[in-house]
Amino acid sequence: MRNKTIRFLMVSLILLLLLCVTIFSFLATYMNETGMNTITEVGTIYMSGMSDQICRHFETTISLRLSQMEALIDTLSSGSADEETLREELRYNATARGFDALAFYSRDGQFDMIYGDPMSVTDPEPFLKTLNDGAVKIAVGSNTRGEKIVLLGISADYPMKNGAECTALVASLPIEYIRQTLSLDEPNALIYSHIIRWDGSFVIRSEEMEWSSYFDRIREIAEPLDGMQAETYVSELSAAIKSQEDYSTILQVDGERQHLYCTSLPYSEWYLVTILPYGALNEAVKNMSVRWVALAVGSCSVILLVLIAIFFKYFQMTRQQIKILEETQKEAIHANKAKSEFLSNMSHDIRTPMNAIVGMTAIATANIDNKQQVQNCLRKISLSSKHLLGLINDVLDMSKIESGKMTLSMDQVSLREVMDSIVSIVQPQVKVKQQTFDVFIHDITEEHVLCDSVRLNQVLLNFLSNAIKFTPEGGAIQVSLQEEASPKGEDFVRIHIHVKDSGIGMSQEFQEKIFESFSREDSSRVHKTEGTGLGMAITKYIIDAMGGSIFVHSEQGKGTEFHVVLDLERAEVAEVDMVLPDWNMLVVDDDQLLCETTASALASIGVKADWALDGETAVKMVTDRHRKRQDYHIILLDWKLPDMDGIRTARILREQLADNIPILLISAYDWSEIEEEARAAGVSGFISKPLFKSTLFYGLKQYAGEEKETEAQSSRQKIDFTGRHVLLAEDNDLNWEIAEELLSDLGLDLEWAEDGQICLEKFQRSPVGFYDAILMDLRMPRMTGYEATQAIRALDRSDAVHIPIIAMTADAFSEDVKRCLDCGMNAHVSKPIDVNEIARLLEKFLAAHK
Amino acid sequence: MSLKECYAALGGDYEDVTHRLPSEKMVRKFVFKFLNDPSYALLESSLEAKNYEEAFRAAHTIKGVCQNLSFSRLFASSNALTEALRGGWTPEAEGLVQQVTADYQATVSAIRALQEEEGEG
Repeated sequence: MRNKTIRFLMVSLILLLLLCVTIFSFLATYMNETGMNTITEVGTIYMSGMSDQICRHFETTISLRLSQMEALIDTLSSGSADEETLREELRYNATARGFDALAFYSRDGQFDMIYGDPMSVTDPEPFLKTLNDGAVKIAVGSNTRGEKIVLLGISADYPMKNGAECTALVASLPIEYIRQTLSLDEPNALIYSHIIRWDGSFVIRSEEMEWSSYFDRIREIAEPLDGMQAETYVSELSAAIKSQEDYSTILQVDGERQHLYCTSLPYSEWYLVTILPYGALNEAVKNMSVRWVALAVGSCSVILLVLIAIFFKYFQMTRQQIKILEETQKEAIHANKAKSEFLSNMSHDIRTPMNAIVGMTAIATANIDNKQQVQNCLRKISLSSKHLLGLINDVLDMSKIESGKMTLSMDQVSLREVMDSIVSIVQPQVKVKQQTFDVFIHDITEEHVLCDSVRLNQVLLNFLSNAIKFTPEGGAIQVSLQEEASPKGEDFVRIHIHVKDSGIGMSQEFQEKIFESFSREDSSRVHKTEGTGLGMAITKYIIDAMGGSIFVHSEQGKGTEFHVVLDLERAEVAEVDMVLPDWNMLVVDDDQLLCETTASALASIGVKADWALDGETAVKMVTDRHRKRQDYHIILLDWKLPDMDGIRTARILREQLADNIPILLISAYDWSEIEEEARAAGVSGFISKPLFKSTLFYGLKQYAGEEKETEAQSSRQKIDFTGRHVLLAEDNDLNWEIAEELLSDLGLDLEWAEDGQICLEKFQRSPVGFYDAILMDLRMPRMTGYEATQAIRALDRSDAVHIPIIAMTADAFSEDVKRCLDCGMNAHVSKPIDVNEIARLLEKFLAAHK
Repeated sequence: MSLKECYAALGGDYEDVTHRLPSEKMVRKFVFKFLNDPSYALLESSLEAKNYEEAFRAAHTIKGVCQNLSFSRLFASSNALTEALRGGWTPEAEGLVQQVTADYQATVSAIRALQEEEGEG
């Protein structure tokens, strides 16, 4: 492809060059030719003009002479005087007019000289014939001295000496007279002329020449030109003379072109031959040609240079384009390959749990009566299904991302709740792999931020599940959350999340493409690990969409650390005024940072806290205080401490302290297993990591004086909703009755709306603030739960916006949940009706509502 | 026939329902009420009238009732039918309707059997 294009370019360049040269050469030659032709034409015109002029001059001269002769005749009357007197008069008059000689001419061609040298006519026949006919004529002749003369004859009737019949009076002039009159001898003239007779013999020669005949001269000097031989010129010329036509041609003499023009002269049998040598003209033409060629070559070169430059540029551009094209192609191929690899991996990954499901189903069917076996099968099926669902969710997420459909739904999020839920989700997995798990927070100034909590959870869970997956048993996993001022302004807070593990780590190459779609490190180490390889790409996308950044540090065999930086908007929450009594507290943890952070968090809610880094120090401090009778009010104790762990420390402390001083165990783990042991050791309760300000506040609030005991207790006991009015929209009788039966138990005053429309109407008719909440089925005739909610929210009354609406539906897809929330509902519970869950939600919303 | 046996016969989860609802007596009461629930009739009539939107809602209601009563088998088939009808009629709905009908008949006959026994006893 690339070579082909280059070859094409080169060939077309060469062809273009050749074409250029050819065209310019042709133009140069053609113009040269045209120049020559033009010169010939100009020459012809000029020559004919010149000849014409000479002819006319000749004619005028001859006419003048002839009229002089006529005047001679006219002054004399033929018979009035005697012969002698007549002759004398004629002689006198003729001499006066400059004639050399004068004679009578008889009809038979005899001269009777009046004066001057006797003369003869070179070719008497036509001369005599014309004069006999009574016309005038001139001819060439010679006198007795051998000089060439011009004879002018005019009809006249005079008595001749010998009695012969006189036909004309003939006067002679020297030939030089004609030559001078016609200026045929001008030395600097561009042209020169001869006068010849019909047979080629010269009447007047322009210069001394050895030839007596012009035809001989042509034969001698003319060089062959354009297929014309000297003889051809001669025959053409004599033919033209015979037919009384003008003749024009070009001859070459001594390598120089000459223009020849021949025309007949009046009153005579003579012909004027005019020659124009092209010498000077040729020079000019040659100069012009040279300039022409130079110009042609010059412009040709300029065009060629420009062409070459353009070609070179174009060539470069083409090469660049080809390069880009090749790169794009490579990328496309790479992406395609990744996708097909991914597809085959996915197919494999999907097939594995699918096989398990199919197989287990078959086994269960075969052992349908063996309850134990069936249960076992079902458990495995459910595990595989969950795994499968996870894979498919990833793929769906990815396809949403790839088609640009994933959007974030920003909502108020409590970082504490996020961390709590993360911790509770990963705890069981961490426990199974016996990994050390810890959570740190510090410098948390704002617990409530605006963020998509579902996606934030997804990101954190992805990091954590990877960390758990790739960290061997007994390894350590650490999550930390930190806040600092955001460069985006006061309304924002920058949070740093670190997820660190001591797992197998990643190669440098893999770190570079970890956030690409469809990548999974392909080595034996991770071969048995299942997953789509999409998690990180999804994570990266989510972080990008949130406007954050993500970093990874990893070393093979040592572990991996992911670091996420997000700038989140502070949520406007009317915070509960978190103030605790003026207690003295002790925080015991081996992590100094945690101690300091916790102490400062406690200080912000009005509690003064000391801290200790191990059990022994703590015991010492408590003992000191005890002796001073200034016991700590509450002691927070980490479960995992060096040397002496939290439970042992608690046991020792409890021995010294009164039972009413609470000792709380801090733990990031699920404490259900150690609860019994801890309680036995004198631990009063637990508080889960991470220790947000609110975690501390709500965890410690219950110990704030005996008077609050009852309230704390009630929250743990059955919740009482006596006197609360709740509207329940449900179209099915049976479901309604079950709901009524169950919820009335809570003391709720339930009202039934048979469909969405009725629900809306009942709410509309009720006094403001009468209903405390609405429980809403979604699929109802006439008006669905979605529509009813929207209609209620749109009502113009003060409680329309605030009344909690909780959806109850048989569907539990996340899309449904999202749609419920989009419609303005506050929460969503799935059927079957779970009293505890509804009670929890009602409590939450009613408390908030109050 | 005890309520537990009845649940076994109709493919329900006895444990689950007794955990969720306060007393067995109440479960009995609701189970008998199931016989009068109009949802199945609505499903049949709307399918006949080719009103699939209404049929979807009926299937959905059956599914919801089954969840509340822990009728697992009928729940499974009605759930599948709900999904098949969610976007209108789909070819697989045909088989699922038959499945729901069969499961519904089985459920109803099991409850009738319990009712008769109780009437006698």
